[in-house]
Amino acid sequence: MRTNKIIVAAAILALGLLAVPLYFTSTFILHMFTLVFFYIALTAAWNIPAFGGKFSLGHAAFFGLGAYAASILYVKYGISPLIGIFAGTVCAMLGGVILSFPLIRLKGPFFTLASIAFAEVLRMVAIDWRSMTNGSVGLNIPFKPGWLNLTFTSGMPFYYIALGLAVLVILLAWWIRSSALGYHLRAAAADEDAAKALGINTAKSHFFALMWSSGLTGMIAVFYVFYNYVLEPGTAFSMDLFSLQPAMNGIIGGMGTVWGPVIGAIIMTPLGEFLRFYLGTIQQGLNFVVYGLMLIAVVNFVPGGIVSLMAPWFKKKKSGESSARDN
Amino acid sequence: MDDLLVVRNLTKNFGGLAAVSEVSFEVRRGEILGLIGPNGAGKTTLFNLISGLLASNQGSIKLEGEDLTKMPPYRRSAMGVGRTFQVVRPFDMTVLENVMVPIFAHYKSAKEAKGKAYEILEMVRLENMADSMPSSLTLAQRKRIEVARALATKPKLLLLDEVLAGLNPSEVAENLPLIRQVRDSGVTILFIEHLMDAMMAISERVLVMDQGALIACGTPDEVTSDQCVITAYLGEEAPEC
Repeated sequence: MRTNKIIVAAAILALGLLAVPLYFTSTFILHMFTLVFFYIALTAAWNIPAFGGKFSLGHAAFFGLGAYAASILYVKYGISPLIGIFAGTVCAMLGGVILSFPLIRLKGPFFTLASIAFAEVLRMVAIDWRSMTNGSVGLNIPFKPGWLNLTFTSGMPFYYIALGLAVLVILLAWWIRSSALGYHLRAAAADEDAAKALGINTAKSHFFALMWSSGLTGMIAVFYVFYNYVLEPGTAFSMDLFSLQPAMNGIIGGMGTVWGPVIGAIIMTPLGEFLRFYLGTIQQGLNFVVYGLMLIAVVNFVPGGIVSLMAPWFKKKKSGESSARDN
Repeated sequence: MDDLLVVRNLTKNFGGLAAVSEVSFEVRRGEILGLIGPNGAGKTTLFNLISGLLASNQGSIKLEGEDLTKMPPYRRSAMGVGRTFQVVRPFDMTVLENVMVPIFAHYKSAKEAKGKAYEILEMVRLENMADSMPSSLTLAQRKRIEVARALATKPKLLLLDEVLAGLNPSEVAENLPLIRQVRDSGVTILFIEHLMDAMMAISERVLVMDQGALIACGTPDEVTSDQCVITAYLGEEAPEC
């Protein structure tokens, strides 16, 4: 009964999301949806190491590596971004390999600090390595529409691409969380020593989680850059956009859960755009004050994130169903 | 008798303090060996050294002749060393899932892991609690989750760190037979306990530690009449020690 209802609800939601571009032709609304999907995917990817309690503030590093790999191949060598997707994924994973040294050696906040430093160093490299990256000027993706170039005349294809990415990463995150790796990560997050004593190679689990996370982030970045046409070190390795934002979404939605990132990204992305637009014009940085207050409120009052507020609601609904039938 | 675990000259220093110094003993296959000593004697440190959570400064640990001394904890677990923790901190997942975590090392499919986990929960009589969250269980039941989790690693040697501490007498009476039952299923047991009655009732031999050193070893009767042991617990002057 209940699973049937869920399937029906999911089908309606899927059809609704597929139909959005047909009814809303406003580029603003389409852009907003696309951005939300990108952030759902980015946050869900960021969240994979968080299953194991690892809190990264350096995912901009993987984003930038993926973005630059595909863009350099396309702009400098004319190689299709369809190949760039793989190159971006692999480059971001190589970044993950480098960051896995502090990941395994350092505990708690020290890994988080190392991850920030890692992204900042890469940003500096992107600025200084002018022959490859054009430095601070950045790279422009030439406008040559076509699937091979991942360039389109309307926003519709990217709406579906971003939707597909979001669904893909959610499904992967769900699969990882319910696999052996997911159980081992959750055990390590709860009690690293107990997990080790129970025969779990926790270092290996954290490493695999970071590989998934970095690779997916790099892959998403490739699409994001081709959606935006421009790439420069300040945005590709932006701490605000690609390190803090996924982390904020994750904390507010519910870190280490499958649906937390989804809820966090759905709430925070439009809110962020709205705040930037209205408050940013009154006083620069005012939008960040609101962000900060929200973060403090959630961490204090709902440490499990918004998803933890919804868990009892789902249970109530379940018991309410049976009592409704009695009546 | 056949020795399962052989510990020789095991030493661990924390700065200038010798938490465990020059400890040597054997655990015989199939026995229940008790480990007692005053607070701070180094009992839990010794468990951490055997399970590999701490690296020793000196000495060796061998299980069935295989040298464990340099192995990381997860490999020692695979070799057959299981343990519980004094402070029970179950993972934040259902009781059944808690037991599934170590089983995933042997079975990659969740379905198989679930079946095996159920079998172990039946052994510790928690099968009715399988889908509950550990936080809704009593302390006695949570201690049994610890035991179930450790058993799920298929240990040859099980290190039990105060699985009876903090329980009321009826709960002790409930959990005590479990230790014997586990041994009878073919697992050798080394356990730390502060409840003397329980300890004396089920262990065949007892080790006594004080200030990092092993000061006595023998049957419960021998140990309780040992002058050094009495001194360690009551703090009298005893020049012979």
